[in-house]
Amino acid sequence: MRSLVGPVVAVGARELGALFRLPVGWIVIALFACLTGAVLSVASLTTGSPATMRGVFGVSTLLVILIGPAVSMRFLSEERRTGTLEIVLSSPAAEWQIALGKYAAGLVFVACMLSVMLVHAAVLRGVSEPRPDWGPVAAGLLSMLLLGSVCVSLGLLASALTESQTLAFLGTVLSLVGWVLVTNVVPNYVPAWLGDALASASVSRRIDDFARGVIDTGHVAFFVSVSGLFVWLVSIVLGVRRWA
Amino acid sequence: MRDIGRSGPSSVEEMIAVDKIHRWYGRTHAVRGVSLGVSRGEVLGLLGPNGAGKSSTIRMIAGVLEPHAGRVSIAGHDTMTAPIAARRSLGYLPESAPVYNEMSARSFVLHRAAMAGVPRRERRNRVDAALERCRVRNVSKQRTGTLSKGYRQRVALAGAIVHGPPVLVLDEPTNGLDPTQLREARSLIAELAEDRTVLICSHVLGEVERICGRVVIIGGGRVLADEPVRHQPGAGCAVAEAFGVDGEGGPLVVPGLKVSTEPLGSGWTRFTGSKVTDDGAPLPGQSAVERLGAAITSRGGRLRLLTDRPDAVGGSLESLFVSVLESAETGAEDAEGQVGEQQAGEDSR
Repeated sequence: MRSLVGPVVAVGARELGALFRLPVGWIVIALFACLTGAVLSVASLTTGSPATMRGVFGVSTLLVILIGPAVSMRFLSEERRTGTLEIVLSSPAAEWQIALGKYAAGLVFVACMLSVMLVHAAVLRGVSEPRPDWGPVAAGLLSMLLLGSVCVSLGLLASALTESQTLAFLGTVLSLVGWVLVTNVVPNYVPAWLGDALASASVSRRIDDFARGVIDTGHVAFFVSVSGLFVWLVSIVLGVRRWA
Repeated sequence: MRDIGRSGPSSVEEMIAVDKIHRWYGRTHAVRGVSLGVSRGEVLGLLGPNGAGKSSTIRMIAGVLEPHAGRVSIAGHDTMTAPIAARRSLGYLPESAPVYNEMSARSFVLHRAAMAGVPRRERRNRVDAALERCRVRNVSKQRTGTLSKGYRQRVALAGAIVHGPPVLVLDEPTNGLDPTQLREARSLIAELAEDRTVLICSHVLGEVERICGRVVIIGGGRVLADEPVRHQPGAGCAVAEAFGVDGEGGPLVVPGLKVSTEPLGSGWTRFTGSKVTDDGAPLPGQSAVERLGAAITSRGGRLRLLTDRPDAVGGSLESLFVSVLESAETGAEDAEGQVGEQQAGEDSR
């Protein structure tokens, strides 16, 4: 068991260390805290405004879609550019362990970033009367983490496919935008059976459900499965790179 | 046919076994049936011109690439059927010795130890031992990005040996080092080779000549020669060596010595002086080293290092390398000529 988990922890700890050793990791978290804090103060802390965090989750969705790929874009493309990928590939670690370790590092970073929203929630609780409903707050936080998981895993896949970090970032963001369009807008213009099929893969509709305080295990399973699929594809790409 | 499921040692003595491996890049057939074996405790040099297929071969041995045909086994573990066991038996130093610039030297080696599966309780001692052995303990807290190339090379080497692999694969380990770093790297590799099987890929003949017991020359993706490194009678035994910047003028002339020069890049040159006569008779006046040094400085050159060469092994490898490549080229031309003649004959018919 230790030999299975060991390389995952080693890869993840190094990536996480790199994110926090460089100023960029702290800057990203600080920017996220400032932007979401500003939205909280405008949307929820003014007199007469509702004691909810819906506005904060709205802007967080956008930020997670941008920050998730920004965090993961360097995971493999940077290793290829600097040549350290040879060290990784010659170590006694399986491709899935490398992929999982990097994904886990990205997810932990996103979780650390989202943890500032606990402070926002505490502030909201301190100043609001009546007290905010904790169901939507908890569900919203979970939805942000699940969305972050998908963004990080997709960014990791893009990073495995190209040596250019810029290309990996743009590829991931555009894929996410395309995904939203295909599953939210296109269904209105195609036959019902196809529209329903496309809409069933919608991320934004699931996020909306979470924002209403509904934690559907089917939605959770969807995000976990999609993230797992992307991480598995990363391990396939690494294996193919040994061969191609 | 591949021996599926085999993971035990194929031969107690053969630590690296490469059997007819092939590798294509698109339509380019880069490695064409390379076979070689390295015994326990042996130091093998892999030589070849640029584009010969050396790096592809060494990457397939290190497990970074998979052979499209043929097989590689490390310490008896097939890299295809038992890749993790094979990679655990191997320490690999890639060309340019990449390291994570944001990590300290110690953190980097600790990370390599964790990746290699060194148990947590042994990790610190193993890391200290590797840093000590590669003489980088004094910079262990420094970020690797701030270290000189020579130090980075040694930190990367410490990372490659931290898990105590019985096989060490080094790709161009002295590339881009200045003469002082070169000397240190050479002695370190020789020291590491004392208790390991080592495969060194290099295009610096002098390095291979000094460190390796056997050399395999690759050209056009094929093994062209597999020879022991030995002193060739009459080739002249090197007795003096200098590193520095060459001055103005033509060939360096030193009484009683035949001098060869090897540009090392960045203006540095290696001067090697061999006795003209092989009878060992002492020459009158200054020693060979003094004469070599005086000749370099008298023509405006600058000396950085001047030394005897007690470990001299003779100048046979360069001639072997050149003759093997030349004969390979001649062979290829002859073959093309024969094909051309055959086609011409068929056309005329």
